[in-house]
Amino acid sequence: MEKKHMGLKAKNRLSNGLVYFILIVISCIWLIPFVCLVLESLRCECTYQVGYLIPKQWGLDNYINLFTKTDFPVWFKNTFIVGLATAAIQTIMVLSMSYVLSRLRFRGRRFLMNAMLVLGMFPGFLSLILIYKVFSWLGMTGANSIPGLILVYTASSAMGYYVSKGYFDTIPRSLDEAARVDGANRFQVFYKVIMPLAKPIVIYTILTAFMAPWGDFMTAKYLAHNTSMGMNVAVGLQNLIAKPESMAANYTMFCAGGVIVAIPITILFMCLQKYYVEGVTGGAVKG
Amino acid sequence: MAEVILKDVKKIYNAEKHGHEVIAVHDFNLHIKDKEFVVFVGPSGCGKSTTLRMIAGLEEISEGTISIDGTVVNDLQPKDRDIAMVFQNYALYPHLSVFENMAFPLRLKNAPQDEVYKKVTEAAEILGITEYLTRKPRALSGGQRQRVAIGRAMVRDSKVFLMDEPLSNLDAKLRNQMRAEIIMLRQKIDSTFVYVTHDQTEAMTLGDRIVIMKDGYIMQVGTPDEVFDMPDNLFVAEFIGAPKMNTIKTSLVKEDDKYYVTPFGTKLVVDGLKGDALKEKNVEAQDIILGVRPEHVSVTNEADENAIKCKIKVNEMMGSEVHLHVETEDGTSLIVRVPTAELSHEERTKLLAGNDIYITFKAHVMHMFDVESEKNLLV
Repeated sequence: MEKKHMGLKAKNRLSNGLVYFILIVISCIWLIPFVCLVLESLRCECTYQVGYLIPKQWGLDNYINLFTKTDFPVWFKNTFIVGLATAAIQTIMVLSMSYVLSRLRFRGRRFLMNAMLVLGMFPGFLSLILIYKVFSWLGMTGANSIPGLILVYTASSAMGYYVSKGYFDTIPRSLDEAARVDGANRFQVFYKVIMPLAKPIVIYTILTAFMAPWGDFMTAKYLAHNTSMGMNVAVGLQNLIAKPESMAANYTMFCAGGVIVAIPITILFMCLQKYYVEGVTGGAVKG
Repeated sequence: MAEVILKDVKKIYNAEKHGHEVIAVHDFNLHIKDKEFVVFVGPSGCGKSTTLRMIAGLEEISEGTISIDGTVVNDLQPKDRDIAMVFQNYALYPHLSVFENMAFPLRLKNAPQDEVYKKVTEAAEILGITEYLTRKPRALSGGQRQRVAIGRAMVRDSKVFLMDEPLSNLDAKLRNQMRAEIIMLRQKIDSTFVYVTHDQTEAMTLGDRIVIMKDGYIMQVGTPDEVFDMPDNLFVAEFIGAPKMNTIKTSLVKEDDKYYVTPFGTKLVVDGLKGDALKEKNVEAQDIILGVRPEHVSVTNEADENAIKCKIKVNEMMGSEVHLHVETEDGTSLIVRVPTAELSHEERTKLLAGNDIYITFKAHVMHMFDVESEKNLLV
């Protein structure tokens, strides 16, 4: 008998092939800017924008200049300090808040959650001018903007409890109860039972808390103003090419800075991504 | 001595949404003796788990006091009450191995490593889970998981052992096996047990005393024999025993110093202990609810003057016995339990659905309840 229809296997293969093709095309499109950036950063024959992509003369001059002739090391250090501090403080605040809202019942809990939801709807930069005013009184602008930045980034961090509270809600409460009967206090329940089980969400919280200040421009620009010592990488790099003449002189160096900024984030993601997918709650309670 | 004393314990939920209070447990009074095994049993929503959780400290006590070993524990955290608890859904820590799960309470107490090792391996030995100690809970079957949960409670050496429907998630066969194991375990641990279940068989087989609850009230407290033979009220009578007790609205008649009941137009003399008790209490003739357990109904023949004619609706062959769901001529449904061992083949064929049979009640084991209060007339 003649086969009229494609077999199920062939059909699956075809649709898989199509999906892969589309995905590959999309990733190529996404990669193009980054490839351009890397190529530009390795170009040594001139420092201004040119009409071609492949460098005529390859080299690491731009990277060397970036570290020797600009304040880039300071900006990088500033960003790193802000990122780490924010990640640490924000993770602790978010996770504690989520745990409290997920596990404890107290008067005003619902109001608090609603209030935070509504407040969170206002764009953060609405308050920038005010923040600048207050911080300039406090002397936390210019060269001293780093503690100010940490304060701004972490101040409202507990409001980002939604995702982790949702995750905590899925961890059976009887685990808390078992641990409390077994002799744990609330804090021990939190770090001995809930934290290990919520690993994916802890990682997620750390990552997002680190990334936001790492790439932030607006707040940092306001606070640092024109003081190089108080800048983060985004502001510092932008400062390099802010004027037309400096654009011509520093463009390839700017690209090199862009590549370096991407490195820590990429490493962080690669190290932590396996926790994203891993589920750890199997076997806790009767499913 | 780890007595647990519950005095006027009340649990009130403030249902904010509904704007009114829900009372889950009313004035609960109970004195659990040292090393006693007490079972709370009742239908779902009767407050049995809530009461247990109040003893554990997982629910606040709205009114009254609970004391363990002479100390009022109302304001103590669960960790300070020296109790161990087994949950219905096991509540194992999925990120820890079986060994670490069982060691968890000891680790919290900072027990020395060799003590932890000794206690955990001992408990694992008793429960037969030694070979699984390195596994994670997700690699265990339901029965094994519940053993781990029991093991985790065992290593504590706590004053009171609380169990909240520990067998409800297991399949029937495993449940029977684990029930026997809990009885053996209890002999080994020799601690005070409070056990919650909705299963009357578990309650009857495990408990030294059974507390039967309904809608937050204690209906009766007693040994398995007491609650079975002398139920305080109709609820207990119907709840304990399977299949459930038959109840028939009829009257109690007093003639010549003798008591009779008159179900379905028959006239049965109430003799034996029940008759004596009626006389002693000088009970008036009145309308009653008659309770007859299915095993106290016997199949008879037409010649019996107190025979009641019924039609068999359903025949449930259980193996060692047959449960017959029958209907009398006035439409009342009754259940009859007939042991199969002494039935001839011919007698068995008579018990098929659709056939008519004659039944009679064993008068000396009947229960009589007041129509209004549903209280046992003899209590």
